[in-house]
Amino acid sequence: MSLFWIVIRQLAEIEAMATSKKVITKEEWEKKLKDVKIRKEDMNKLVMNFLVTEGYVDAAEKFRLESGTEPDIDLATITDRMAVKKAVQSGNVEDAIEKVNDLNPEILDTNPQLFFHLQQQRLIELIRNGKVEEALEFAQEELAPRGEENQSFLEELEKTVALLAFEDVSNCPVGELLDISQRLKTASEVNAAILTSQSHEKDPKLPSLLKMLIWAQNQLDEKAAYPRINDLSTAKLEDPDV
Amino acid sequence: MTNNNSGSKNEEEVEVGSYFLEVARGAHKKKEEEMAEDTEDEESPTELNTINSSGGFLVVSTDKISVKYPSVNLHGHDVGVVQANKPAPVKRLVYYFEIYVKDSGAKGQIAIGFTPDNFKMRRQPGWEPHSCGYHGDDGLLYHGQGKGEAFGPTYTANDTVGAGINYASHEFFFTKNGAVVGTVYNDMKGSLFPTIAVHSQNEEVHVNFGQKPFAFDLEDFEKQERMKQQMTVEKISLPLNVSHGIVRSYLLHYGYEETLNSFDMASKSTVPPVHIAQENGFDEQDIMYALNERKTLRQLIKNGEIDAALSKLHDWYPQIVQDDKSATCFLLHCQKFIELVRVGALEEAVKYGRIQLAKFFGLAGFEDFVQDCVALLAYEQPRESSVGYLLEDSQREVVADAVNAMILSLNPNLKDSHGCLQSCLEKLLRQLTACCLERRSLNGDQGEAFYLHRVLNIGKKC
Repeated sequence: MSLFWIVIRQLAEIEAMATSKKVITKEEWEKKLKDVKIRKEDMNKLVMNFLVTEGYVDAAEKFRLESGTEPDIDLATITDRMAVKKAVQSGNVEDAIEKVNDLNPEILDTNPQLFFHLQQQRLIELIRNGKVEEALEFAQEELAPRGEENQSFLEELEKTVALLAFEDVSNCPVGELLDISQRLKTASEVNAAILTSQSHEKDPKLPSLLKMLIWAQNQLDEKAAYPRINDLSTAKLEDPDV
Repeated sequence: MTNNNSGSKNEEEVEVGSYFLEVARGAHKKKEEEMAEDTEDEESPTELNTINSSGGFLVVSTDKISVKYPSVNLHGHDVGVVQANKPAPVKRLVYYFEIYVKDSGAKGQIAIGFTPDNFKMRRQPGWEPHSCGYHGDDGLLYHGQGKGEAFGPTYTANDTVGAGINYASHEFFFTKNGAVVGTVYNDMKGSLFPTIAVHSQNEEVHVNFGQKPFAFDLEDFEKQERMKQQMTVEKISLPLNVSHGIVRSYLLHYGYEETLNSFDMASKSTVPPVHIAQENGFDEQDIMYALNERKTLRQLIKNGEIDAALSKLHDWYPQIVQDDKSATCFLLHCQKFIELVRVGALEEAVKYGRIQLAKFFGLAGFEDFVQDCVALLAYEQPRESSVGYLLEDSQREVVADAVNAMILSLNPNLKDSHGCLQSCLEKLLRQLTACCLERRSLNGDQGEAFYLHRVLNIGKKC
């Protein structure tokens, strides 16, 4: 070991003693990493779970053929689910509602909040297309009764109807409802509800694991100085801070 | 392709080959490891310790799971205390055990708690430093001194009382008839033994170390604790589309070309479209290399068509199969042998083994694996034997991954020679596991570690 690295290590140890942190060199850490057992088939499952939950049907099918990994859900149901998601994302809420009921009528029955949000989206689309009369009728007949049952529904309904009060919607305080992000939010909610009804977790596991990595490193930082991964997309190990 | 730096290239080839040889050899330990993961190599209490109990004062049943206090007690130093035969295991989220009070005797002076190794076995748990006990006669918690603090209800005959250690929150907790009555901070270091005590005439207590179902829903409790941690973790934010990028680089790394093409196409039409900026750090040049060839070879190997794979390698990458004694060639020849055994062509397998495998006997690093392969011949039902693991698909996968990595290592633009061994995802998962293990180890080894296999299967249960 060159003199340079010896000095670096000593500096690290002095620093660590000051803060009473354990110092782990890159060599020691790489040995620990090597001892970890990660099975290829488990990684394949993780990737398949991502493809399936996010709705990449064709990719999931190809992955099944190329890797021999079985999807944890029937691929046919993904196509249906994606059709619903896409309908909401394109603003065709009526179509989406029909499709959800075809898939499983219980989903909307057991999910009043989801149903309200879909109806709300319908209202937003009517307002967006300038169909003022239809929008008001719809709000009064379909949404107001729901608003009476539930305070937060009422507040959201009032916010939505407020859109009608403004000529220039791009500058009004509730303008964000017309943003595409609102459609995406609703689409995501529907997607999650369908997955849950199929007894599948609504979120892919991979992002949680990445968050867990960030969390685990932050926790370990309190007690040790060790090589960290700061860039998830490259997984490069950075030398421990000196 | 010109071979500029033949010296270092050979080193890399050797490194890649031997890396996967290790993986292949490690496979037969899989089952044992799965077991070790579950129990973490830790023993659990199963019965009461009759050797160090306060012999004169209490009587332990022959099955060692119940105690009685036969005589009349006289003072504070004739408590009948008994510990479990093993200390509470620590490498888990929670440890828990229960007692059932069969008879509360004259005064109901029963206690449940935790005590250290050298505890004075004539004192109630909690009355001495570094011990804790929940007492039935007064419902108080004793935590290292003779005076207790208000804690929970009293308990008596026909009550089921439990005591547990929550390693996530560093707390002791106690239950009565299935409901938690209270918690107290656990600052006690060192091994802790589940302990029960009886102190008045005719008291009788039965203990349950998990051999029978608990009155308390421990599984649900653990689930709630895990969810608490999960909720903290979920709040962390990730860079945009990072998961998408990692999946993509995984597909590229291992050569899943068709999947990658479908994935890319679908990504263009998602709302909003996923756009991976080059600055995200994905070195595409490195892993786009020879994508089609790698895909083809993987398919051949996954189908067991080793001869075809070898032939293609001769055509495309002769340098990989040049040295017949290299780890890569070894893995390919072994796989061919395994495929012959799989279809029952035993005579052909023997012939092949003589030509291609015999030379590896006596070579350190290759010997045990080749022995396992040849051992397949000894069994009528090789799949069920101890070397049956060789016939699993995962074995073909290792060979396919080895060939894949060898080809990647030939990339003239390769910046990082280690990059071809592990995908980005693998590196991240290893780091996650190592960090969790290190953190636990710095914490007195208490708590759960991270195991990918376990996480993937938790989802299956629900």
